[in-house]
Amino acid sequence: MIQLEHVHFAYPAQGPSVQDVSFHIRKGEFVALLGANGAGKTTTVRLIDGLIRPTAGRVLIHGMDTATTSVSQRARMVGFLFQNPDRQICKNTVREEILFGLKATRGEEDESRLQARTEEILADFSFTGDEEPFSLSRGQRQRVALASVLAIEPEILILDEPTTGLDYLECCHIMDHIRRMNEEKQVTVVMVCHDMEVVLDYAQRALVMAGGKLLADGPVREIFRNNPVMELASILPPQIIGLGQRLGGAFAEEDSPAGMAGAILAAAGKGGKRDE
Amino acid sequence: MIHIEDLSFTYRGETRPALEHITLTVPDGGFLGIIGPAGAGKTTLARAISGIIPHHYPGDYYGSVTVNGLDTVDTPLIDLSRQVGMVFQDVESQIISSVVEDEILYGLENFGVPKEEIPRRIDEALRQAGIADLRDRSISSLSGGQRQKVAIASIVALRPRVLALDEPTGELDPRSSRQVFQLMKALNEETGITVIIVEQKIMLLCEFARQLAVLSGGRICRQGETREVLAHAEELENVGVNCPRVVTLSRILTEKTGEQQPVCVNLDEAEKMARRFIP
Repeated sequence: MIQLEHVHFAYPAQGPSVQDVSFHIRKGEFVALLGANGAGKTTTVRLIDGLIRPTAGRVLIHGMDTATTSVSQRARMVGFLFQNPDRQICKNTVREEILFGLKATRGEEDESRLQARTEEILADFSFTGDEEPFSLSRGQRQRVALASVLAIEPEILILDEPTTGLDYLECCHIMDHIRRMNEEKQVTVVMVCHDMEVVLDYAQRALVMAGGKLLADGPVREIFRNNPVMELASILPPQIIGLGQRLGGAFAEEDSPAGMAGAILAAAGKGGKRDE
Repeated sequence: MIHIEDLSFTYRGETRPALEHITLTVPDGGFLGIIGPAGAGKTTLARAISGIIPHHYPGDYYGSVTVNGLDTVDTPLIDLSRQVGMVFQDVESQIISSVVEDEILYGLENFGVPKEEIPRRIDEALRQAGIADLRDRSISSLSGGQRQKVAIASIVALRPRVLALDEPTGELDPRSSRQVFQLMKALNEETGITVIIVEQKIMLLCEFARQLAVLSGGRICRQGETREVLAHAEELENVGVNCPRVVTLSRILTEKTGEQQPVCVNLDEAEKMARRFIP
């Protein structure tokens, strides 16, 4: 679905920001892109979206090279949700906002069909459609942005720090919706995210970047337990995994508070009495 | 000392109060974290402490806020700003100069600090913020974390007694966020400045704040010493504040063993707690 082959990219008058990166993401995967600021994550998702083109190597989406596909072709396939919803919202009501995005990408279809699709997505997100985006909270505006991206029914969804500035419940709303799209519609998700607990809860696979290079690629839980990689990428793993690594043995298998509590009590039980 | 007594506030044109019956005391040299879901009134509370409410935002105001004995309603904002410095989430909106040193100079000149004292104040603020090496840098060449430190240095140079920060790490990555908290801790310990910080990053708050206030729907639903507040993890989750997972681990172990376990705020403490069980 998404294939990068020895991709290099340098911004003009700056050093290389992506160097010899190769990976393959299959349909329906939920992938997190991890690394410190300046590691090349945002550049990589922009390369996938075709916002920028590699200076060397190839980016293939559905087997099509982004160097030769048109912006409108890609806009139908790849949806992009930015960190700040205000960068993508431009209309006065939620209904207009969603319809605007649909017309821009699926303008060749019947207006009545696009309107029907708009109503469908409004219902899906429990919007009336008459809300004014800029009088909504940040979390609600992020949901508006997500709704208009999903309205297009992209096969690939790219999220650049989608939960920044949101509180816990807002974060769960957004991420649960994305997970549902991933599970039910096989939407391929590529997410840049700084909250490792969110990555642990939602992503299946992690790509770790440092200094523009791909450092590691594997299942999220394995990657978080790879101490050398975590250190090189200056990532603090989720708390329970970090605790498991310190305690070692069977504890290193746990990743949830309930699981860890069970393991701790089991160990205490085996040892008979506790030391206090 | 900051004392808030039965404060309620409704922005003009709104029907629902943004804050209702808030009573809160922050001691001199305290480090208070304010947390709560979106729309809970966190920013409004920070504005009320700095006096921006009611001076800049009109509305229905009941109760009182006193900062070091000054009632914020009766005291002109210019006098309050010598007591309380405010740092906002959006770094860009509060930086006006193009070079780091000028940014700090600007506030000092506005406050009428004597000319001969200014160089010393700039040196001190840069050192306290840990950015002495950035003095001559252009602000456009700095990272988000560095810019936030410049904003903090320019406030600290004015020597307020209280520093109120509204989601100062909202746009920063984990490493820079931690650095901002470490800076607040160092300032708090070194200068005795009172720190009040509105923040969504619960893990950092738990580690650094000595006092927590949890807001929900304009009211304080829990306040007190950090560990005391965290001991009510379930209540916090019900209002939409997720606790760090080591806190959840303490809670589950407390429930399952029937004995109160320590409330852990970081991995070191969680490891210590776990090792007590493991033979």
